[in-house]
Amino acid sequence: MKRLLLVLAALATSVSLAAPAAAAGKDEFHLYNWNNYLAPETVKRFEEFCKCTVVQTYYSDNEELLAKLSAGAKGYDMYVPTSNAVQALIKSGRLKPIDRAALPNLKNIDPLYMNTPFDPGNKFSVPYAMSTTIIGYNDEKIKELGLPTDTWAVIFDPKYLEKIKGRVTVLDSANELFAAALKYKGYSANDVDPKHWDEAVEVIKKAKPYWAAFNASSYIKELTVGNIWVVHGYSNDIFQANLDAQAAGRKFKILQGMPKEGAVLAVDNMVIDKSAPRPDLAIKFANFMLEGQNSAELTNLIGSGNPNTAAVKFIKPELLKSPAIFPDKAVQAKLEQLQDLTGAQRRLRNKLWTGIKAGR
Amino acid sequence: MRASGRRAKWLVVGPPLLYLLVFFAIPTLIMVLASFRTPGEFGGLAPLVDEAGTLDLNLESYVRFFTESVYAEVFVKSFWYALLTTFLCLGLAYPLAALIAKSPKRHRNLLLLLVILPFWSNFLIRIYAWMIILGPQAALARSVNAALAMVGIQPVSLLFSSFAVLTCLVYVHLPFMVLPLYANLEKHDQTLLDAAQDLGANAWQRFWRITFPLSLPGVYAGAALVFIPAFGIFAIPDILGGPDDSLIGNVIKQQFLETRDWPFGSVLSIVLTVVALALAGFSAWVGRRNLGNPSSARTADA
Amino acid sequence: MRKRSIWLWMAAVTGYAFLYVPLVIVIVYSFNDSKLNAEWVGFTFDWYNKLFHNDEMLTAAGNSLIIALVASLASTLLGTMAGVAMYRYKLKLLPILVLTPIAIPEILMGVSLLIFFVLLNFTLGLLSVALAHIAFCIGFVAIVVRSRLAGMDESLTEAARDCGATPWNAFRYVTLPLIMPGVIAGALMAFTLSIDDFVITFFTAGAGTVTLPLQIYSMIKIAVTPEVNAVSTLLMLLTLALIIIASRVSPNLFSAEED
Repeated sequence: MKRLLLVLAALATSVSLAAPAAAAGKDEFHLYNWNNYLAPETVKRFEEFCKCTVVQTYYSDNEELLAKLSAGAKGYDMYVPTSNAVQALIKSGRLKPIDRAALPNLKNIDPLYMNTPFDPGNKFSVPYAMSTTIIGYNDEKIKELGLPTDTWAVIFDPKYLEKIKGRVTVLDSANELFAAALKYKGYSANDVDPKHWDEAVEVIKKAKPYWAAFNASSYIKELTVGNIWVVHGYSNDIFQANLDAQAAGRKFKILQGMPKEGAVLAVDNMVIDKSAPRPDLAIKFANFMLEGQNSAELTNLIGSGNPNTAAVKFIKPELLKSPAIFPDKAVQAKLEQLQDLTGAQRRLRNKLWTGIKAGR
Repeated sequence: MRASGRRAKWLVVGPPLLYLLVFFAIPTLIMVLASFRTPGEFGGLAPLVDEAGTLDLNLESYVRFFTESVYAEVFVKSFWYALLTTFLCLGLAYPLAALIAKSPKRHRNLLLLLVILPFWSNFLIRIYAWMIILGPQAALARSVNAALAMVGIQPVSLLFSSFAVLTCLVYVHLPFMVLPLYANLEKHDQTLLDAAQDLGANAWQRFWRITFPLSLPGVYAGAALVFIPAFGIFAIPDILGGPDDSLIGNVIKQQFLETRDWPFGSVLSIVLTVVALALAGFSAWVGRRNLGNPSSARTADA
Repeated sequence: MRKRSIWLWMAAVTGYAFLYVPLVIVIVYSFNDSKLNAEWVGFTFDWYNKLFHNDEMLTAAGNSLIIALVASLASTLLGTMAGVAMYRYKLKLLPILVLTPIAIPEILMGVSLLIFFVLLNFTLGLLSVALAHIAFCIGFVAIVVRSRLAGMDESLTEAARDCGATPWNAFRYVTLPLIMPGVIAGALMAFTLSIDDFVITFFTAGAGTVTLPLQIYSMIKIAVTPEVNAVSTLLMLLTLALIIIASRVSPNLFSAEED
C-alpha cells in the first residue's frame, strides 16, 4: 500500500512538473492545424530555417477550433481556419493584424484568392491551401449504371438515386449539404432567403430515404473499399481515396466529379492569434509557406488545391490536370466560398437540420 | 455522534465533496448561468452585462426548447435507444459477471481484467473494427442476407443502421454493467444457495428468488452507469449511424459546434441531465420499495 | 461440489466472444498492408516501424498513460471515500455532485471546465486534463463502491469498534478488504474512461498537449491508419504488463479479502 502511494505521489509530481517545464519555452512555435495538413519535410526545413521547434496540435473541424477559442483557450501562435471561420474570428476580434512588409512572398498568391469580402486587403489572413466539396464516385459502378457525375442530381434526384439506394453518403454538415441543395436548385450557396431554405429542405428530405448515411468521418473508407459508390465529399479526401484504392489493387478508380451547378470552395488561411506568445515565428512561418516549393509539398502530399502561383512548377503534373484541385476559369466562376451566418440564421438552419435528421 | 465520529465523517466526506465543488459544481454553474444568456453573435456567449450596464439574462433558450417540439422528439428517441441498450447489456453482462464471481479466487482478477482489456484500445479503432464486421462484404452481413433471400426479403444493410448503432452502444457500455454486477455477485454467500438446493429449489428458482434479488443493487448501479451515458452519446451515431439515427447527444454537439448556440446547448444539456438523474432516482426508489430488504433502510439516497 | 451450469458457461463465453472479436480485428489489422482500416490486403510490420519513428504519436500515448494512471488513482481514492460516505451517512449534496458528472453531456463539461480554467488563469496542460478526468471519474467509482456496500453487514465494523479499533483501523482492516473488489472494479472503470476520453480532453488540453485520443480523432477525417491499431495494441499490452507487475509488487492489494 505504501509503495503504491509513493508511486502515486511521484506520478503526480511528474505530471505537475511537466506542464510548466514545457511552457518555459525555448523557441517554440505553437501551430494549431488540421491533421496531415503540413508535410513532415516542410516542418523539418522550417525548424532548421528558424532555429525553433514546431509544436503542432490538431483539430478536425473549424467549429472545434472556434468553440475552444470562444471559451478562452490561449497559447497558440497560429491556426489555419477556413474562410467562414476567419470571418467569425475577425468579427470577434481574435486575430492579430499581419504586417504585410514582413511577407514578401505574399505576391506569389493568385490575386483571385486575395481581397476576399471577409478580409479585404488581407489584413489578417494569408491563403494556405484549398479544397472543393464535390462528388466522388466509383467509376466502374457509375459506368455500369449509366449515371451522370457532373451534376448534384446524382445525389438529390430520386430517379438516379433509385439505382444506387443505400450506396450514397452525404456530408454530415448542415452548411455543406444546404449549400449543395441550394446550388442544385440554382441559388447561391450563400442564399439566406428562408423560402429558398425550405426548398432545399424539401430536396434533401426527398432524397434522404436513398442515402446510406450522413457521414463526414468514415465515408472515404467505405468508398475506397467499394461499399459506397457515390459520396458528397471533399476533393482532397476523394483524391486520397483513389490513391488508396490503387494501392490496394482495386479494379475500380475513385474519381472526382465537379457538378456543373457549382460547388463550395474552401480556402484555409493562416492567421495569427491576438495573444500569440511568438508572433514573430508565426510571421516567419507564413512567409516560409508562401514559398513555391514549400506550398507545393502539401499539394503533392494530399492533393489539396493551391492558391500559390509560384508553387505550380513544383507540383506533380497529374494533379495540375484535375479540375477539382486546379479549377479552370469556367469552373472557378461557379465556385463559391461559404460565408458565416448570423446567429439568427444559424439557429434557423439548426432547427431545419434537426427536423431533417429526426425524420419528420 | 461522538466527536471522533464527526471528525471521521468530515474526513471521509470532505475531500471528494471539496474536489467536486471546485472542479465540477462551479464550472457547471457557469454553464447553467449560460443557459439564461444570449448567444454571442460569432460564437460563445454575449457579454453578461451589456452596453447599457444591465444584466443580460433571459429565458429565450428555454422557451425555444419548449415550443419547438422537434427537440423533444429526439429526446424520446434517445431514451428508447438508451433503455434498450441497458437491457441488452444486462442480459449479456449478467452471465459474464456471474461466471467471474464464481471462479476460483486466483482467477477472478484475471478474468475481470480480460473483460476490460479491449477497452484500453482506442474507441475509434474498435468502432472501425465493428464497421468491418458489419460491412456488406463481411461474413455476418452476407449470411444474414442469404437467410433473408431464402424467405424472399430484400437484402438489408447492417452498417449505417439502427442495428449498428445499438450493437456498438451495447459493446461500448458492456464493461460498465459487468463491473458493478461482479462487485455485487462476488460477495454472495454460496451457502445460501446450497441451503436452497437442499430444500428442493431448482437452478432457476435459486437464481430468480435468491441471486437476482440480492444482486439488485449491482443491477441498478450497472443500469445507471449504462443508461445515463448512453442517453447522451453522439460519437457512435456520427460514425456508423443511418440517416435517421441522430440522437440528442448529436443535437447538443451541434449546438456547440455548428450553430454556436451555447445557451441553447446548455438548456438541452440541463434537460438531459435532469431527466437522466430523475430516471435514475426513480428506478432506485422503485427498487428499494420492491426489495423490502431491511438493510436498505439504512442506505443513503442514490 | 456443485456442477457449474453449462448454460452459464456458454452465455459467458458468448459474452467474451462479443468483446474479443472486434479486438482481434484491431490487433490483426495493425499488420494490414493498407492505409485504410477497411479490408485485409496483406501482412506487414510497416506500421509498427512507422510508429516507432513517430514521436508525436508516442508522446501522445505516453501522456495518455500518465494522465490515466494519475486520474484513476486519484479518482479511486476520492470515489471510494465518496462511496463509503454515501453509504454510511445520510447526505444530500454529495450524491448529487457524484452522480451529475455521469449524466452531464461531455461537451458541456468540457466547455465549462475550459471557461473555468481560463477565468482562473490556470495554464492548460497535462495537469488541467488530469483534473478534469478525476472530476468525471469519481462518480463511477463511488457508485460501484456504494453498491458493493449495500446490504453489507454493519455488525462486523461495529464489533471492531467495540473491540477498541479506531475508525481508521476499523476501515482499513474490516471495511476496506470487504469492499476491495468494488474498489478495483471502480479503478478499472476510471482508468478506461480516462485513457479513452476525447471530448473533455479536447477542451482542457493546452496548446502543446496531445493525448492519444486527441491525436487519433484529428485523423478521423483523413485516414485512421493501422498505425493507430499498432499504438492501441501496444498501449493495451503495456497497461496489462503494468498491472501484472503491480500485482506482483503488492500482492495483497488485489486479493485483500480472506475467506
